[in-house]
Amino acid sequence: MSAESSVLVKVQNLTKYFPINKGILFQSHIGDVKAVDDVSFEIYSGETLGLVGETGCGKTTVGRTILRLYEPTSGHVYFEGIDLMSLNESGMRAFRKRMQMIFQDPYASLNPRMTVGSIVAAPLDVHGVPDGKDKKERIDELLDMVGLNPDFVNRYPHEFSGGQRQRIGIARALAVNPDLIICDEPISSLDVSIQAQVVNLLEELQGRLGLTYLFIAHDLSMVRHISDRIAVMYLGKVVELADRNEIYLRPLHPYTQALMSAVPVPDPDIAETRHRVILEGDLPSPAHPPVGCNFSTRCPLAKEQCFTADPEYREIVPGHWVACYFADQFVK
Amino acid sequence: MEQPLLEIKDLRVTFHTDDGTVHAVNGVSYKLEKGEVLGIVGESGCGKSVHALSIMRLISIPPGRIDSGEVLFYGKDLLKLEFEELRQVRGGQIAMVFQDPMTSLNPAYTVGFQIMEALTVHKKLDQNQARDRSAELLSLVGIPDARRRLDDYPHQFSGGMRQRAMIAMALSCEPSLLIADEPTTALDVTIQAQIVDLVKRLQRDYGMAVMWITHDLGVVAELAHKINVMYAGYIIERGHVKDIFKRTRHPYTLGLLGSLPRLDEAPGTKLVSIPGLPPDLVALPKGCPFVARCTYVTDSCLESMPPLENVGDRDHLVACWNWAAIAEGAA
Repeated sequence: MSAESSVLVKVQNLTKYFPINKGILFQSHIGDVKAVDDVSFEIYSGETLGLVGETGCGKTTVGRTILRLYEPTSGHVYFEGIDLMSLNESGMRAFRKRMQMIFQDPYASLNPRMTVGSIVAAPLDVHGVPDGKDKKERIDELLDMVGLNPDFVNRYPHEFSGGQRQRIGIARALAVNPDLIICDEPISSLDVSIQAQVVNLLEELQGRLGLTYLFIAHDLSMVRHISDRIAVMYLGKVVELADRNEIYLRPLHPYTQALMSAVPVPDPDIAETRHRVILEGDLPSPAHPPVGCNFSTRCPLAKEQCFTADPEYREIVPGHWVACYFADQFVK
Repeated sequence: MEQPLLEIKDLRVTFHTDDGTVHAVNGVSYKLEKGEVLGIVGESGCGKSVHALSIMRLISIPPGRIDSGEVLFYGKDLLKLEFEELRQVRGGQIAMVFQDPMTSLNPAYTVGFQIMEALTVHKKLDQNQARDRSAELLSLVGIPDARRRLDDYPHQFSGGMRQRAMIAMALSCEPSLLIADEPTTALDVTIQAQIVDLVKRLQRDYGMAVMWITHDLGVVAELAHKINVMYAGYIIERGHVKDIFKRTRHPYTLGLLGSLPRLDEAPGTKLVSIPGLPPDLVALPKGCPFVARCTYVTDSCLESMPPLENVGDRDHLVACWNWAAIAEGAA
């Protein structure tokens, strides 16, 4: 990203703990699931920031906390310089119009008892954008924009396939002309050939409407395809953030390196020859993260200091952030 | 020529539902040799799982029905076996690993009990022998502290560990064929890499044949010797891994490969998506089922389903009227 691009969203030391309580009548707080732990990054206007990580690493929680669908435990989210966490409900509503979300499961995120027209119109009603004839026109325009026949307005979600439902979800998100769309695994429940259709649609809409995306996914190759920059999360923390090519050609964090090498390549020649880093073991529980670096329990490079203190998240070369003591050896 | 391990001849499976007859598998024939890894690739509803379940006669009848075909395993037709004989084959000579490791273990029994069950039934081991063998198997699939973990219940295992336990269970009777139905789809990539690595190693060590069913072309590129690509209940392309990836001849396979972004792609590459949707299996078109989404359609495509033709010098089969034109385009 060029230096003059403006920052649309700035996430600063965002933390979200979900409390673990014991007992029914006399509840006592016995611990926390550290879903998001001190995460900071910026999203530039007009870019796509990819957020990748495995199940339970907190990537979805980051997305939801930015929208204040979850109240953060601490930290700030600035949208064009305004701290969203300081706003009251009506203040927040004005910003909700500018930030929309596309959900993972197109089967669960559309109300089965509402027609396509009323699903897409719901955000228009809430935010009181156009009314009457204008509203009808707007709905037709939106459906057309996502490649659905506007004659389908009176149909119900069950009449559509997964890919088409995801298009309805996209039309709903676009209804109020948002600046930022948080795409939470929008394609992971779709078939391969349909995934490409939806990704092409998202890219085309971004070009046409100047949208900014936070694209959350676990599919590294798809994230690399769609993103300008990529942030990698592990157990509630961002461990590395860099430009898409930089992170692919020169991953500095051992977790990113392992994640890259674990992605299967659909090419038998490459598959035969390439070297893979296979991680041992499983993700630790976010309720009891390891002392020191979160990745120390599975890291092939871990040394004594990794088990005692958390490495600093630092900008090791301009635009490339990493949280690892040993990242310098990979910078050449 | 030596008898193949498994030979499927003209398998047809339908499901009779209120909306009509669903043609799930429409005449599938192929051979699987001993020690071969066969990848079966296709999207949801292409019949890849149904055809595998039919091999083991695991589809529920009704609504399902195996209309015709033979499944010859060591020359014996599994579709005609008596129940007791079939029981010897299931879990004994052919083992299966299912997609969802969360639901395919019984939550009410310990993992050890569930592994030992197959050993006592098929191998006639006594309790102590079975327990020793189970511990060996669990450590073989890479679960640390295996003997103690035998007494754990499935909920105490993570997703990757449960899938390992399933694999341990499948391997317990040293099957000659392992059918794995999307075994890594529910898992994260780093765990998927562990499982693929494990199956590769075990396959090499034990020389068993593996049928790996998936929608992920990346995984089969690493693992399989041969690939069947399925669409709407037909095998539309079959061949050695390199033929499928490097000398692709069916437009659907080309489309699938084009829709995959690659980690090493150049910036700004646009994905080639396949337009439209897979056909409704209740009302399949008269000709080739791919016509509605294909860019190479000619008159004969609308008329009849193309047969599988050999297009290379080593068992590379394609069901497309226009494969020659596609080959020319690729050259």
